[in-house]
Order: sequence, then C-alpha cells, then structure tokens
Amino acid sequence: MKAAVSVVHGLPVEVEVEPILAWRSWTLTGRRDGAGLLLRPVTAGSRAWRPREIAQATCRLAWSHEAPNADCSCGLHATREVDLLRRTRCPAVLGRVALWGRVIEHEHGYRAKFAYPQRLRLICQFCFWQGSAAASKPDVVSWYARDLLVPMCVHHLGVAEANGMRPRRILPAGLVDLRLRETYAVDALAI
Amino acid sequence: MDIGLPKRVIEIEPASLPVPEPAPILEPSIDPLPEVVPESEPEPVRIPEPTREPAPR
Repeated sequence: MKAAVSVVHGLPVEVEVEPILAWRSWTLTGRRDGAGLLLRPVTAGSRAWRPREIAQATCRLAWSHEAPNADCSCGLHATREVDLLRRTRCPAVLGRVALWGRVIEHEHGYRAKFAYPQRLRLICQFCFWQGSAAASKPDVVSWYARDLLVPMCVHHLGVAEANGMRPRRILPAGLVDLRLRETYAVDALAI
Repeated sequence: MDIGLPKRVIEIEPASLPVPEPAPILEPSIDPLPEVVPESEPEPVRIPEPTREPAPR
C-alpha cells in the first residue's frame, strides 16, 4: 500500500505487515568449550546480536537522525542475494534474517531498524569465498585468541595451520552449529 | 559490501514479532517453601494403673 513520498529523497514510502527475509553473515565468538556463542557483525566495532533479543540499529550520528536514514549508511544491513555476502570479511555464520520497522530497500539489499535471525548455519569462509554457499560446510570450529571462533573444513584447517594460524582448540562443527541454533532458538539453514 | 542505491522506504509493523520467547528463568520465581520444623514430641501420656478393688470380706 503506497502511503506517502519521502520529502528528502523522493523515495516512495510504503506500509507493510510482513517482515522482509534477507541474507546476512556474521563473525562468531564463544568460549573455549563452545559455550557463550555470540553473533557479531563483520564490521568491527558494531554491536553484537544477542540471543533472543531484537537487534536494533543505531547510528554514530544519533544526535542528528534515527537509523536507518536515507542520507546515511546506518541500519542493520542484509542482502537480497546470498552471493553478495561472499565479499564480506571473515564470515563464520550465514543466515536468513527477518527485517522490520523502518526498512530502506536498496538495489541489492536492505537497511533496517529491527532484525532477528530466522535460520543459521556455520560456513567455512575460505570455501565460501572461493565457491558457493552450498559447498562451504565446515568440519571443525577453531578457537583463537579473543574467543574468536572460525569454522573450517579439514582442508582449510590444514592450510591455516601451515600458515601459522594454529588454533588453540578445535571443536566439532556439528556441536557448535547445534548449540548456536539452540542459543538463538532458530532453525537450520538449508542451502 | 555495496547494496546499491536506495529504491524505497518500507514501514513494516508485523502482527507478531519474529523473535523467540525469552529463555526460561532457571532460578525459582516464587519464594522457597519454608523449612518444615518437626513438632516436638508430645510428652508420653502416663496411663494410670488400674486400681485394685478391695477383696470382699
């Protein structure tokens, strides 16, 4: 239903009742035993997405506008197509997110006020960068300093170790994947 | 990550929020039951011995 037209940009403003579903990736942190899992934006310094809590967009320019704003790049980002996420830095988790509140639709994605993941899956970021999301199933999750968790296939674990990235602990990916979905109370992402 | 130019603004007010219920609180939400203090045992009731009736003379 067309409700109005944005005065600033001439963007049409519409009102909907169904959340938008889109793609997103995160980095992952957790303790050495795989507990305390937390989804974090791939952009450093952004707020973590806490389990069972609505993620809400904020802007460093909050004194001047509310996120998301058409003049800014603020808001919770998600993409229309999964392949666009292959360009993101260090993705560990891939998922479908529900977006609602004020959502600015772009050519290839969205910026939203509120969001929560609906389906999640661990990915080997190295396979994801090189190929498709479907071929990025990890075998292990490597635990590094600062509680950083990096899912990897066996092949890329070997490559990482050969290049001096020896993990402090290695966890089974299936266990971490299950615990992640239990923590956020979401379903598995099938690709 | 470039998501391109903005096309439109959508105001979405979902009928129900797509967020799971908060995790159950594991701590007891009601006051713990008071400790049951056993009552002190009653004093034993001494049953008077039956008085012997005097023998008939």
